[in-house]
Amino acid sequence: MEQTNWKRRLLIAMSTAVFIGGTATVAQAAEVKLLNVSYDPTRELYADFNKSFAEYWKKKTGDTVTINQSHGGSGRQARSVIDGLAADVVTLALAADVDAIANNGKLLPVNWEERLPDHSAPYTSTIVFLVRKGNPKNIKDWGDLVRPGIGVITPNPKTSGGARWNYLAGWAWAKKQPGGSDATAKEYIRKLYKNVPVLDTGARGSTTTFVHRGIGDVALSWENEAWLAIKELGPDKVEIVIPSISILAEPSVAVVDKVVLRRGTRAIAEEYLKYLYTPEGQEIAARNYYRPRNAAVAAKHTELFPKLDLVTIKDFGGWTKAQKEHFGDGGIFDQIQTQ
Amino acid sequence: MKIRRAAAGATIAALLPFTGVALAQNAPAGDSNAEIRREIEEQKQRLLILERKLENQQEAATAAAATAPRITASASRFQIGSTDNSNFIRLRGTLHADVRTYGGDSVPEIADTFILRRVRPTIEGTFGGIYDFKFMPDFASGRTAVIDAYPAARFNPGAIVTVGKFKPPVGLERLQSSADIRFIERGLPTNLVPNRDLGVQLSGDFSGGAVSYAVGYFNGVTDGQSSDNLATPDVEVDTAGDYAARLFFQPFANSSNFNLRGLGVGVGTTWVDVDGTAANTALSAYRSPGQQSVFAYRANTATGVTPNNATFADGTRLRLAPQFYYYRGSFGLLGEYTQVEQDVSRLVGGVTRSDTLTNSAWQAQFSWFLTGEEEAFRGYTPGSTFQPGKSGSGGWELVARYHELDIDDDAFLGGATSFANPLTAVSKATAYGVGVNWYPWNTVKLSLNYELTEFEGGATTGDRADEQALLSRFAINF
Repeated sequence: MEQTNWKRRLLIAMSTAVFIGGTATVAQAAEVKLLNVSYDPTRELYADFNKSFAEYWKKKTGDTVTINQSHGGSGRQARSVIDGLAADVVTLALAADVDAIANNGKLLPVNWEERLPDHSAPYTSTIVFLVRKGNPKNIKDWGDLVRPGIGVITPNPKTSGGARWNYLAGWAWAKKQPGGSDATAKEYIRKLYKNVPVLDTGARGSTTTFVHRGIGDVALSWENEAWLAIKELGPDKVEIVIPSISILAEPSVAVVDKVVLRRGTRAIAEEYLKYLYTPEGQEIAARNYYRPRNAAVAAKHTELFPKLDLVTIKDFGGWTKAQKEHFGDGGIFDQIQTQ
Repeated sequence: MKIRRAAAGATIAALLPFTGVALAQNAPAGDSNAEIRREIEEQKQRLLILERKLENQQEAATAAAATAPRITASASRFQIGSTDNSNFIRLRGTLHADVRTYGGDSVPEIADTFILRRVRPTIEGTFGGIYDFKFMPDFASGRTAVIDAYPAARFNPGAIVTVGKFKPPVGLERLQSSADIRFIERGLPTNLVPNRDLGVQLSGDFSGGAVSYAVGYFNGVTDGQSSDNLATPDVEVDTAGDYAARLFFQPFANSSNFNLRGLGVGVGTTWVDVDGTAANTALSAYRSPGQQSVFAYRANTATGVTPNNATFADGTRLRLAPQFYYYRGSFGLLGEYTQVEQDVSRLVGGVTRSDTLTNSAWQAQFSWFLTGEEEAFRGYTPGSTFQPGKSGSGGWELVARYHELDIDDDAFLGGATSFANPLTAVSKATAYGVGVNWYPWNTVKLSLNYELTEFEGGATTGDRADEQALLSRFAINF
């Protein structure tokens, strides 16, 4: 009798485990879902890219994949991932925000940049000026932005990756002026932000402020966002001004290891990011006004991406140094805000 | 948003003429119209900037609210959870302070008592909208016991897996929460069904709750008992587990026919092949509505080397519990019949007697909210609350019930070799109960019950004297 009961209990325990596991497995197999946590201006890019990748994945594996998107200021998005937003992949505005996820959230290794080509930045962009049609305030270069009465629209560097690129591009210009130094650059940045009437949390918010709300005379903008504004509003409303110097903005992408491990989505998440480097992925980036890394694809779109003098983040000692020095608590941005 | 922008635009439009006039009046001679237009444009920009800042603040507030934890502290609920409510922890509690007094001769005066019937702080919650848990200890009557403790996974409404300690799915009134039962003590049928037990259960609802089912496998407990009352609490003691199942229908639950919406019918059952022993009988005593022990199988009376002669369970135990309820407006009716078929044995004088005994009980219970509130199987909400100096009387409810317990006559056959002693154990109990409940607040209930119970047998001569029990309770349930 005891043996019979033992067997019966074992059977029930196994049945329960199989039921729980089986139900969970069935639920997961019903639809493969990925969450891409990205920054503000990439909505259109990834809407386009996700459609292409889903078709590619279906053709390759027969599986259906649904990619959900989350957008916001890059710094804020990184914070959300650290706080528990289950991103399979992050596609953020700059490496510093992915570093934050690696260092503060411990969700991926610190050497994440080495896992994909071009230190995990499959496309680039730069910072340009978006001005009103006819450039009524005659804004041609960075020096014009600190003239009295000029309204400059740029987001908050504390929450926006694009804003940090804007800031650093301006800093680079100031330092390259005759007699330029860290002190003169800091003074330039102070004056620049004095002319900023609204600090939005992200680049898309700034575009809304400038383009749709009609505030300010010039918006410091991602190149792709500026093209998008022209496409949306028409060339009779706003136009692009290319400054004498700008910065090579390198948005970074990474698989979030702890999330894909938990969700069992590593293979597809890795494939998703690798697809960004394929000719198809690069073409999608280019037609959404991001500068492709692939030279052949870039050659087809030269009219969109004029050559200009670009500094890089290396000129600031890398993101770790730049982040701490300029945007960390008590950094230069905090200092000029309290002055 | 469009409305606000339109309003701002209208404000600007309204201000512009005045601005222009003011500027024109204060402008030195010779100022150009271009200067006035510039001033106007600057004013317009300021307004737009203020509007945009306000817009950003509102967006930030909305975003913050979307991720902020939601704390609820209402008249009946205390919990903290995520905004989407898929993760929360709720603090609950049950405190029942009773007074029991008895008239007549059946119960000694010493039984009159104050008693803390339930002292149960409870934590329950949900993670991910799927995984539930409950932990409910009890500190009443000078002991500490875990009453409910289980995790559960709600894969979908039709498939909920629960593992741990909880109520097996059998008796209707037993399955009703202690906060919701209409009488202070449950009726006689509850004597025959399990209370709490450890096991695993698969349950769920279909067709929007019209069909409910539960199947489970449990360690097994004796009639009316909880596994924490065992000699070795909360462990398996007889090597045989109970299979339990319940099917319940509310055929009109989603119907537009309000006359029948509150109708539910079903049946619960347990089955086990149990091997008790004279030392571990696997049999229970039964209690009266006044919570006095009125029936027990014979205990061991042997001394010295004579073998233990207690009656013990020895084979199949099958419980069947057809049940129903019907609620319509302020009226409620609950009924259940419970039967337990139990193989028993007793070794007396070297001879083992065995038999299959069938004990049964049933009840019909009526409830009526005098103050018009809706009667329901679960929960109650008084239409008004009572606070001194303010209007509102709270909810008032009258209750009445009739219930019986009938012991198999064969239990008393055989004189000294009988399974139960007819001189101490009653063969039948018939009880009439009435009561009033007052709900001055959502979480507060004061009850007064009177139960008259008549017995057959259970006395040296004639029948055990009627039990007249006056029970009262001050309850907090949240």
